[in-house]
Amino acid sequence: MINLSSGLWAEALKMLRSKVPYFTALGFTMAPLSGGLFMVILKDPEAAKTLGLISTKAQLLTGTADWPALFGFLGQAVAAGGMILYALITIWVFGREFSDHTVKESLALPTPREAIITAKFIVIALWSLSITLIIFGIGLIVGRLVNIPGWSEELLRNSFIGIMGTAVLTLPLMSFVALLSSAGRGYLPAFGWTILTVFLANLSAILGWGDWFPWAIPGLFSGAVGPRSDVLGYHSYVILTATSIIGFAASYWWWRNADQTR
Amino acid sequence: MEYAIETNGLSKSYREVRAVDAVSLRVMPGEIYGFLGLNGAGKTTTIRALLGMIRPSEGSVKVLDQDVGPRGRGPWSRIGHLVERPSAYPELTVRENLEIARRLQKITDKESTSRVIERLGIASYAQRKAGTLSTGNLQRLGLARALLHEPELLILDEPANGLDPAGVVEIRELLRELTHGKGVTVFMSSHILTEVDRLATRIGIIHKGKLIEELDAGQLDQISARFLVIKTRNMNAAFNVLKDAGYSISTEPGDSIRLKDARAVDAPDEVAQALVHAGASPTYLAVEQENLEDHFLRLTAEKSE
Repeated sequence: MINLSSGLWAEALKMLRSKVPYFTALGFTMAPLSGGLFMVILKDPEAAKTLGLISTKAQLLTGTADWPALFGFLGQAVAAGGMILYALITIWVFGREFSDHTVKESLALPTPREAIITAKFIVIALWSLSITLIIFGIGLIVGRLVNIPGWSEELLRNSFIGIMGTAVLTLPLMSFVALLSSAGRGYLPAFGWTILTVFLANLSAILGWGDWFPWAIPGLFSGAVGPRSDVLGYHSYVILTATSIIGFAASYWWWRNADQTR
Repeated sequence: MEYAIETNGLSKSYREVRAVDAVSLRVMPGEIYGFLGLNGAGKTTTIRALLGMIRPSEGSVKVLDQDVGPRGRGPWSRIGHLVERPSAYPELTVRENLEIARRLQKITDKESTSRVIERLGIASYAQRKAGTLSTGNLQRLGLARALLHEPELLILDEPANGLDPAGVVEIRELLRELTHGKGVTVFMSSHILTEVDRLATRIGIIHKGKLIEELDAGQLDQISARFLVIKTRNMNAAFNVLKDAGYSISTEPGDSIRLKDARAVDAPDEVAQALVHAGASPTYLAVEQENLEDHFLRLTAEKSE
């Protein structure tokens, strides 16, 4: 426990002092703000034109300006953007040790390597979930300010479960990003992997095989393409869990056994 | 504890390349062991193997009586290290970088950070971000991290790198004080041979992955080659007369003649007499002995042939 707390302290300090996580968080806050803008436009398109928010030639969005639409938009943003945002945080936390050549300071220590990477994973998870919570909170404030109809306690609960559930299902898949940031000794291989998985997740969802593809499952859970009971089965959760276990096991194995020449 | 460091047939291969080849080292407690080698000779690979950062292809490594095994196992709380160029988290201050090291080293004494900052002379940089430090100060930060937990064994890769001449002297004195005062064992690689010459009590030379020689510092005098160096205003005449007398001659840069024969080294007066008779009176005549640098260069050149 002492090992883990030392690792957590170190990782938290590195995260708090770094600008990268703040920039990624700032970028992600664009999601609820964009959602709010769409609500304003959908609520009164003519007023939006008059205010200059949209061009008279704009293709007006279809849909309604209400709470279910706003929560749906946030769910989609977390499903699509979360995969990239969490990956960026993971790439930073793991990849920087190789880019800055600091990894060699984490290897021959009384604090075991396992404690150090567990601390990294915990900090990544806490930071990612915090950002997702902030986005959800900003979404609530924006919805109140725009004053859209359709609010209910049940909708709030379901949307919260959907959005945070999507985040929770996405995070274990970051074990592969951590592995590639480490084995690839830098940022680029892991970034390439992230782009590839996002692309394949979309493709598999379009082809109707998303419930079998681990990287598509969090997006389907968000409810972006329909009720989750229709698009996901038990097998989906089993596949996601098994894939995540493989990712974590491979990451720990690599840190314990691979030659460290950086 | 018999040895502070003990390797048996330590080898490391990267595909076709044999980076370290059957190196068997024995470093006694309290020794300052200078580990010499050209670039790519296998110094850093050996050091990484000692620290469990790479797994040997063959052989074994023991430090402070404990096997360095897979999964990074080893007596790391008793070892301080500095591997290759020093590194630090650039956005953290010097003190924060050391605080991270203190916690990961499980040191409960919070004052240890301040003490090591004072000791390495980086107090005025303590609140500076590591990313803004000069190479020399970054090196001091790396040394501070290595000394933070007052280790029994220091494994240092090029500890004088980036330091100014005053810094080199300061670190030399610090290492000497640690070994003499506290019995710390130091294993250091260096390309500054004069530093090793002044500091090391034992020297190992690695070349193309093989440990080609180990010697005590005192032994250098006994095994170093001696030669007679001659300068004269009439080099051609000197050259001819010495050649006729059967000496083996090699010319040196700066228009001097070097005789390696024992009879020349043992009887320089006879050489002087021959030169005077030939009208090539010596302007300089001295028996010189190769220093560590000469010895190292001769040895590595011989092994390269």
